[in-house]
Amino acid sequence: MDEKTFLVQQILVRTFAAGTPLLLGTLGEIYSERSGILNLGIEGMMAAGAVAAFATASVTGSPWCGVVAGIVVGGLLALLHAFATVTLKANQIVSGLALTMLGLGISGLWGKRYVGVPLINKILPVRLPVLSNIPILGNAVFNQDLLFYGSVVLGVIMWFILYKTKVGIIIRSVGENPEAADSLGISVWKVRYVCVITGGIFAGMAGSYLSLVYISSWVEGMTGGRGWIVIALTVFSLWNPKRAFLGAYVFGGIYVLQYILQSYGVSPNLLLMLPYIATLAALLAAVKFSKKKRISPPLSLGVPFDRGR
Amino acid sequence: MIKKLCCILGVAGLLFSVAACGKKTADTGDTYSGKKVKAGFIYVGPIGDFGWTYAHEISRKELIAKYPWLETIYVENIPEGDSDRVIDRLVNEEKCDIIFATSFGYMDSTINAGKKYPDKIFMHCAGYKREKNVGTYFAELYQAYYLNGLMAGALSKTDRIGYVAAHPIPEVIRHINAFAIGVKEVNPSAKVYVKWLFSWYDPAKAREAAESLIAQGCDTLAFEEDSVAVIEVGQSHTFKGHQIYTFSHYSPMQKFGPDSVVSGQLVNWTGMYDYILNNVNEGKWTNEDMWWRLKEKAVALGGEHGEQINKKFVPVLQNLKIKNKDFGNISVYDLVMKRLKQMEQGPDVFDPFTGPVKDQKGIVRIKTGNCADHDMLWTMDWFAENVEGKLPESGK
Repeated sequence: MDEKTFLVQQILVRTFAAGTPLLLGTLGEIYSERSGILNLGIEGMMAAGAVAAFATASVTGSPWCGVVAGIVVGGLLALLHAFATVTLKANQIVSGLALTMLGLGISGLWGKRYVGVPLINKILPVRLPVLSNIPILGNAVFNQDLLFYGSVVLGVIMWFILYKTKVGIIIRSVGENPEAADSLGISVWKVRYVCVITGGIFAGMAGSYLSLVYISSWVEGMTGGRGWIVIALTVFSLWNPKRAFLGAYVFGGIYVLQYILQSYGVSPNLLLMLPYIATLAALLAAVKFSKKKRISPPLSLGVPFDRGR
Repeated sequence: MIKKLCCILGVAGLLFSVAACGKKTADTGDTYSGKKVKAGFIYVGPIGDFGWTYAHEISRKELIAKYPWLETIYVENIPEGDSDRVIDRLVNEEKCDIIFATSFGYMDSTINAGKKYPDKIFMHCAGYKREKNVGTYFAELYQAYYLNGLMAGALSKTDRIGYVAAHPIPEVIRHINAFAIGVKEVNPSAKVYVKWLFSWYDPAKAREAAESLIAQGCDTLAFEEDSVAVIEVGQSHTFKGHQIYTFSHYSPMQKFGPDSVVSGQLVNWTGMYDYILNNVNEGKWTNEDMWWRLKEKAVALGGEHGEQINKKFVPVLQNLKIKNKDFGNISVYDLVMKRLKQMEQGPDVFDPFTGPVKDQKGIVRIKTGNCADHDMLWTMDWFAENVEGKLPESGK
């Protein structure tokens, strides 16, 4: 393999790894927002999921127990948000921001003793037969860990459910017009609870991927704004899981390029801003796209549903 | 309503973060009734960081077990801008006799505190300012980095050697240059590629930087950052069948990369703290500038205590023969051991920063036969000629 091919291959390997937590987070947030609930607490759920996963993996010695713990903690935090916004009809922005602070706080406190502790049992890559022999892509896509494969499969399933099944229609209708859905006998609060908790589960999974695979250690603040990028990516994806793939991997690539480009004389200080500049650019692009394609956010996004009204 | 909520949440968040940092623990020798020395340690990181703070903490624990007259207190996770308050507290409320400020960024606060409390003793780690009652101390690693450079230069097959670096400050630059000088001595055609993190502890950044170096053809990695991320990257590539050689930094990290770690540098602060505290106890303390190296055993070569070179790579290095200007035909292993012995005798026997050393522009920085002096090493702001990459303009 010559140098250029190797470089491209390695960039792709890292791009997919760096994009996976973003993909998982975005898939979850799409479901939450599709049902009409904005959840700005992704950063907090991700951080809490990350520390739960790391702590559990360290104590039990099994990274898979860690993943389960991350999912449970993410889901529980989302349950709080669902309770506040669906049952109590609280302001979704405030509740989401509170969730972020809560999650970051819990993770900092809980994770204190795990700072700097290396992970002993890791989730190792699994080489898929035949497929991994494809030049470049074989190593980049088919020689990754099971969580990565899982995230891709989940993405496809999530897209299928949302666009090809009756469940998907129900979720979308609840997000667009909960009154109409309600009059057809759909339980709006149930759908919203399920979708918000799904969002939390995915954010928890994203956190587990960060602490168990991508970084394989815990450090306070390691989500590094990824939760906010996920919210931007949800807008960028126009609430469609298919486009979430594109957004997540493009942003994954940006994280990787930060260090590749240092060798070409670009100031490292400038490069550290890249993901955030790209976030702004992605949001602008999304606005333009949604106008062109006449796609708008779910109509009742952020609006509490009051049955008696 | 929303504003009010935000306010309450904000305050709650602040309280939370204040409560979360700055945990204190006092360890006392209860049974001792004579005159006691109370030492306060201010740490910049968490004691579990597996790097800088961890190394200081180990020495603190060893010494309280050793001396019944010693009483200590430590405060961890103290941001560099917040140290004045902590020093005041350690002096006034905890009644410490000596305070160890263990981060470069505490320098000005420590100097000011020295003026404010003239009857207390302060030791500042890694700084260069002193007062009547403020001394400095530092365990210096560049000689070990040079030895690692010898091995890295010999082992690399691509002639590209990567270096993941924390902050562009003289200490880090000095280590990179010492490493590069070692590389050049055994392999003049190899280059050292540097990537900056702008962080002392960030496994995510370190991992990505190490991956990018490998992607750009490096097969050997050294680093100066406090996590084991670079080692793990080396080990995972080696596991996948692509051998990457790595060099551990500061703490014994070989167990995280048994097939990748060749050697490294280990620090041991115990000797210094022992010396300082004994002087304080006996009333002999002076505000000296302690700069301990291999000779004083503040530093050792290796990725694991008691193992200077990973046993796995010893035969490889013994079979690599090179021609050296001082020793003629010699194996890399013997060269490393000979240089180690020389430096253990003292920097006057051998020092890596012996001329001629040129910088990236080809300007001679150290003339033939000269050695870099203390001031040059402590203010270094140029890269040796075989280092690739620009030095960022701003410092820490």
